[in-house]
Amino acid sequence: MLTEASVNLLQSYQSGLSSYDEVLDLNGKIKPYWQALFSTLEKLGLDELKNRNQEIISKLRENGVTYNVYGTPDGLNRPWQLDPIPFLIEQKEWALITKGLQQRAILLDLILKDLYGPRNLVKDGIIPAELVFENTGFLRSCIDIKLPSANQLTLFAADMARGPDGQMWIVDNRTQAPSGSGYTLENRIVMSKLLPELADGMYVSKLSPYFNCLQNTVSRLSDKSKDAPNIVYLTPGPNNEAYFEHAYLASYLGYTLAQGDDLLVRNGCVWLKSIDGLQKVDVIIRRIDDDWCDPLELREDSQLGVPGLLQAIRMGNVQVLNPPGTSVVENHAFLAFMDNISLYFLGEKLVMPSVATWWCGHKKELGYVCDHLDELIIKKANRKSKFRSIYGRLLSYSEREELKKMISQRPHEYIAQQEVSLSTTPSLINGNIEPRYAALRAFMVADENGYHVMQGGLTRSSPVKDRFVISNQYGGLSKDTWIVSDKTEEIQEKIVLNVPASVNKHISLPSRSAENLYWVGRYCERTMAVIKFMNITINVLNLDRNFGGSAKQEHIKVLLQALTHLSATYPGFTEEDTLSNPYTEIIDLVSNTTRPGSIASNIGSFLNSVGAVRNQWDLEIWRIVDLIDNGFHEIRNASSMNSNNIQKTLDGLFNNMFTFLGVIAESMPRDNSFLLFETGKLIERILSRTSVIQSNFGVKNEQNVENELIEATLINHHSLVNYRQIYKSQLSVETMLDMVLLEKSLPYSLVYMLDELKRNLGKLPVTTRGERLNEAQKFVLKASTLVKLANISALSKSDEDSERKELFDLLSEVSRLISSVSTNLTNMYFSHTMMQHSFFEPVDYDKDEI
Amino acid sequence: MKYRLTHKTEYQYTVPVNNYHSLLCLTPRTLPNQICHSFSINVTPEPAQIVERTDFYGNKNHYFSIHTPHKNLTVLTSSIVECLSEAMGPPLISADGTCGAARQRFVTDRSLKISLMEYITPSPLVKWDQEILDFAADCFRDDVSLYECVRNLCRKIYTEFDFVSDFTTVNTPIKEVLASKKGVCQDFSHLAIACIRSFGFAARYVSGYLETLPPPGKQKLQGSDASHAWISVFIPDYGWCDFDPTNNVVPGERHIITAWGRDYSDVPPLKGIIFSYGKHELSVEVDVIPV
Repeated sequence: MLTEASVNLLQSYQSGLSSYDEVLDLNGKIKPYWQALFSTLEKLGLDELKNRNQEIISKLRENGVTYNVYGTPDGLNRPWQLDPIPFLIEQKEWALITKGLQQRAILLDLILKDLYGPRNLVKDGIIPAELVFENTGFLRSCIDIKLPSANQLTLFAADMARGPDGQMWIVDNRTQAPSGSGYTLENRIVMSKLLPELADGMYVSKLSPYFNCLQNTVSRLSDKSKDAPNIVYLTPGPNNEAYFEHAYLASYLGYTLAQGDDLLVRNGCVWLKSIDGLQKVDVIIRRIDDDWCDPLELREDSQLGVPGLLQAIRMGNVQVLNPPGTSVVENHAFLAFMDNISLYFLGEKLVMPSVATWWCGHKKELGYVCDHLDELIIKKANRKSKFRSIYGRLLSYSEREELKKMISQRPHEYIAQQEVSLSTTPSLINGNIEPRYAALRAFMVADENGYHVMQGGLTRSSPVKDRFVISNQYGGLSKDTWIVSDKTEEIQEKIVLNVPASVNKHISLPSRSAENLYWVGRYCERTMAVIKFMNITINVLNLDRNFGGSAKQEHIKVLLQALTHLSATYPGFTEEDTLSNPYTEIIDLVSNTTRPGSIASNIGSFLNSVGAVRNQWDLEIWRIVDLIDNGFHEIRNASSMNSNNIQKTLDGLFNNMFTFLGVIAESMPRDNSFLLFETGKLIERILSRTSVIQSNFGVKNEQNVENELIEATLINHHSLVNYRQIYKSQLSVETMLDMVLLEKSLPYSLVYMLDELKRNLGKLPVTTRGERLNEAQKFVLKASTLVKLANISALSKSDEDSERKELFDLLSEVSRLISSVSTNLTNMYFSHTMMQHSFFEPVDYDKDEI
Repeated sequence: MKYRLTHKTEYQYTVPVNNYHSLLCLTPRTLPNQICHSFSINVTPEPAQIVERTDFYGNKNHYFSIHTPHKNLTVLTSSIVECLSEAMGPPLISADGTCGAARQRFVTDRSLKISLMEYITPSPLVKWDQEILDFAADCFRDDVSLYECVRNLCRKIYTEFDFVSDFTTVNTPIKEVLASKKGVCQDFSHLAIACIRSFGFAARYVSGYLETLPPPGKQKLQGSDASHAWISVFIPDYGWCDFDPTNNVVPGERHIITAWGRDYSDVPPLKGIIFSYGKHELSVEVDVIPV
């Protein structure tokens, strides 16, 4: 039963309708499942719905769900937008849509096989030859690229919209590397967590069977003789707008996320460059477009693909989903011929029509298009051309004539589509429920029985009223899509993958991920080291300004210069002018993103490295990273803050980064990823601590100056409390050095850090044969031995020039050795970052005078 | 005429190269007027495997990769090729085979048009506009044969353009070649193809070799022959007929065909991908020796 209130909410929604709406049936009556939803919404109340919407926004943010560039420190991560009101389709109607989608997939698969085979469609005049030979998606090197399965088109997405008569239309086909299924899954997960009661009184079909089916298809394609097939999810990288989804799906499906240059073709097989060496790859799910797959045979300027990949596929040594060449059917002109193609191949009509489309290459159609421009959208047939769709009705008379002229010059390059007025669906807009245009993307995967359609999809609705702007590139709302019925679904049998118990659980870490993890560790520690020491220095400065004034300020100079050395931001405080007005330099060191070594620049690099291996992190970590990201935005405005607030913000950042370390320590599996992260962290920690000791005590100062420096150093080593417990208030360089260099139980003492580093390196995979220790291990052993054999009292002595030469030299040597460890690790585990060049033989032709 | 054909390509790198992938399109085709008796490839350092494949156009390609560090790479192909072009004789053009009639054929004969569509439409390196149409307009007259029209076009390119090496690269657009009136055989071939296609006819790019003759009384120098490129035009009721716009001749026995496609991008003789920091130097030697 409807409550009166829900009638009101519905009524107010209905009053805003101006075209066909999803809520109403063809007779203008409210569909029952929408009634159920509205009645739940009414119970919830608009205010609560707005609250939940806020929760959704922060949840998506916390989870790091973005659709944008994640490349630069200043890059905007546009958060993914999810409308709390789902798009509903009744099971009965969906069953019919499913038939239409399956038929469409079957047809596109048949077209693909025909075009890369006999081309009977052209010979028998079903489609014009231009659709093949002028189609930039028709890749001649792919005529012998075939999957061993019955279907070539394995993954498929179709964009649909409802026309004014209530009929669903197919508007577009996505065949080469369909996107959106990961966002769809995340939408569902967030909705079911934050608005579970919306589904009251309905049964909503599950998405998981689609993903199970996908996993099954992939495992059927992989090498049967192998216990654990190597499946790679190939992404263009963190700069791709949908990188979130690539990382998300790779980890959800349990596949290795890799970029083109993580892979290598050798002996006709594809290999993953991992820190354990090369690992043979069986199946690749690619998210890079056709053209970019293989620079040897396709676009030679592609840095995203794998040279030799096409040959490896031809030799049957690797399977790629979808096989390169599938973009041929993304050409818009096919929509104009689908009816005939269906009759030709299947002898049946289309179950679900395409949006009315005309190919201008035929005289009659060209005439029609020119006469009806105001009802049509003009597009180029080839999707790849940089041509924005033109809406005929928006053109002036002269623009229309201009367009006609342009089309008539190369008519076969253009298509026209009916501008359909789409249906509207309820969306939460500025706190009210309003009608907005919507379109739906459906996902399919081929299995041995045909095409499995996901029971749901990605609905996108236009953020503006009465206009249809839904592309994610230009901003738009997404919606969860519910296939609803009043009967519970038959319980889906969870498909059990055929994985033997003895499966090799070791997951290899691609070299690039390894390198990024290592740098996450380094940048994290580098940022923390600078923040920590800067806070110590600011405290001393403030103390001096407020309480000292006339006292000796030598220790301030030493600390400020130590800060410059530590952050390698020369000339900095090594110049007298800067010393006389330290706050300007300090603010710059905090906030200047373009200055290498500054805190802002280090955090930027840290966030980039974290983003580049986002599939490594779980939700707890994303939450912290989000907080660090907030702090990053705050400190960039440090110039407008007072020193107190700067310190507060820095403290907050430091604490969040400490938490980041803590969550990693408590939750990350102790595998190679963890070891490399720890190694990076330790190397940076050793380098930063030696740098500060060296700057503070390389030259002997007066006792009262040294006392200040000793205290600062002990704080910097997290050891002041411990020191006081042992030595009370007796400050001496010798006891201080003994503690920060040699005290085995202190995590920031040099011997402790060196021993930890040694232990870590010992657990990393062995890449050299014959010797028990690799170069990196030898360097660490040498450094640790030097420190352990050092004579502390000799180290604390200074010569006649007040220099502590022995201390200085020892620390320089340790620093040099540990820097060499870093270079060595790079060569051992990360040596993949070489540039790729393609070249043609420049044909040196001679002119022959006959 | 029988030839021994060798084509040696040598790369020198300043920094050792660990990975190299290559695709060759260097095998002479066997055709009604050309027989390839033997063909061999020698690569140093030796690749584990050389894989042969026939491409979309029926040309033979060879793929190999090298994964041992090397600073020198040599690719040597050798073949024995026999050219029988005299056996075919000059193209017989019937009296009514005018250019106008030929053009009409491409409009009315659907199956002819479909079978040649590949060579009628624009391709990656061959596109045209009004400027190109204007350039060729006086060569294509409806009352003379298509064969004569193409000969006119080749003559026009030959007389109006200068052969200048190193002025253009594989990526120089035809429009630039047309504006500067300079280029090499590949540019002239692309220009000719664009003109012919702009009038609705089918033309393809032919890649191969040309035997050069030493100046009178001089000995031929080793490595002095060259890769060459010319065009082939489809003449209704006759078939494909080759033309060499660079030299203003109809190719005969001294033109050896290795491959054809829509334009150069379909049939580059040697393509390679390396992973390296350093630079490389390249030298090519071609010999076409009558035997």
